[in-house]
Amino acid sequence: MAKPKKFVMAYIVNRCIDCKACMIACKSRWDVPADHFRTHIDAGNCPTMPGKTRTHYLPSQCNHCDDPPCVTVCPTKASHKRDDGLVYIDRTICIGCKYCIVSCPYDERFYNEEAGVAEKCTFCFPKIYEGYQPACVETCLGHARFFGDINDENSEVSKVINEAVKNKQKVWKLRTDLGTEPNIYYIQY
Amino acid sequence: MVFQEAFEWKIAIYLFLAGTGAGAIISGALSDIYKREKYISYIKAASLIGMPLVAFGTLFLLFDLGQGLWKPWLLIYLFANPKSVMTWGTIILALFIICTTLYGAYNLGIIKFGGGKAIKVLSIGLGLATAGYTAILIGVLRAVPFWHQSVLSILFLVSALSTGISATLIVRELFFKDESHTEVYRITHFYSMIIEIFLLLSLVVVAFNGVPEMIFSIKTIVFGSLSFRFWVGVLLVGIIIPLIFSGSEKLHLDGYRMIIIESMVLIGGYNLRIIIVHAGAFTDKFANYIVG
Repeated sequence: MAKPKKFVMAYIVNRCIDCKACMIACKSRWDVPADHFRTHIDAGNCPTMPGKTRTHYLPSQCNHCDDPPCVTVCPTKASHKRDDGLVYIDRTICIGCKYCIVSCPYDERFYNEEAGVAEKCTFCFPKIYEGYQPACVETCLGHARFFGDINDENSEVSKVINEAVKNKQKVWKLRTDLGTEPNIYYIQY
Repeated sequence: MVFQEAFEWKIAIYLFLAGTGAGAIISGALSDIYKREKYISYIKAASLIGMPLVAFGTLFLLFDLGQGLWKPWLLIYLFANPKSVMTWGTIILALFIICTTLYGAYNLGIIKFGGGKAIKVLSIGLGLATAGYTAILIGVLRAVPFWHQSVLSILFLVSALSTGISATLIVRELFFKDESHTEVYRITHFYSMIIEIFLLLSLVVVAFNGVPEMIFSIKTIVFGSLSFRFWVGVLLVGIIIPLIFSGSEKLHLDGYRMIIIESMVLIGGYNLRIIIVHAGAFTDKFANYIVG
């Protein structure tokens, strides 16, 4: 029997040029409130090599963790883990207590004042079932972002991750020490 | 590093009021089990404020809600997830309010049946659960390392007892004053504040030796933007001055001077909650992962 779908994302961070097109594309597709974004680009300096300091751009968004703290703390089960790997907020029963927002170690959730609910990246569900890629992936100029089913060996994201592992490139996820088992892969050559 | 901004003053007020109400009930019901006749004025004062303070604090929780505030039927879902500490809290608060309404009404002579010893023990248990829960709510979050330490629940519990005694003594002075002694409360209060100092010290020492986010939080409290609230609001006003006055029988006051000193404990209790809430900083998501 085929493995169930498990959606993940991968970033090749060297390709990110901080153009922020992903942030805007996401915002325009999902009508995100004015002062918030569902995906971010953070800049980090590398101070470990004196004289060779570099700025790196690191995209981030909801990691759709396998052990998501936001789902554990949500009293109403509005935040839930779907069978296809997505962590999704059911807006009809979210009461807006903000507990999930403080529980996310990645600070990827925010409070939507107008709707009175918590909000975050959904990997563009349900658009991904209509044949679209997530907006950030579609729009990325440098082709830094990849999305797909990691249980399908032929998906683009699986190929990119396997390739990186095979070529001994650096592949990591954010703060795996916290035990959240995130599902966004960072790749750096 | 980034401070959390989702929980603000409304949550701090809730943590404070729920703790104070629970503390009042714990101290009142303990006195009740010990010697009801002797401390009846104190028990009545605790009954008058215990449940209302917790209920009033819960109102702040409701006002902090988003969609749940204007669609109150959704609140039934608060019982949906047994893994969520907020679900536990909802159950604890509901039981506490029911139990202490009965207990309080009996003590104030509104109803005749008091439920005997069982309801006293239950009130103490639910009081401890309510006061402890206010810290566990934020203590279980591994996303905010500063909150993620077990001393927080004991600190909040002791502070709840201390502020609960203060609030009850004020109400007793205003509405139920009689000739009975309050010496036992002075001593309990004195020691609870001594323990509070040690717990605060432990919080500070542990945080200063913790992960970078904890150090960031505690530096904000001890030296940074929250330092005035900490040194003056919590330590001086909330603990040291009341400690001096409750430390000696000679200095122990009554009348409006006592009300002022006890009010200072309440101000300290609120300040403690608000600095802890505001100092919470998220884990650094990219730490150690930027390589050259």
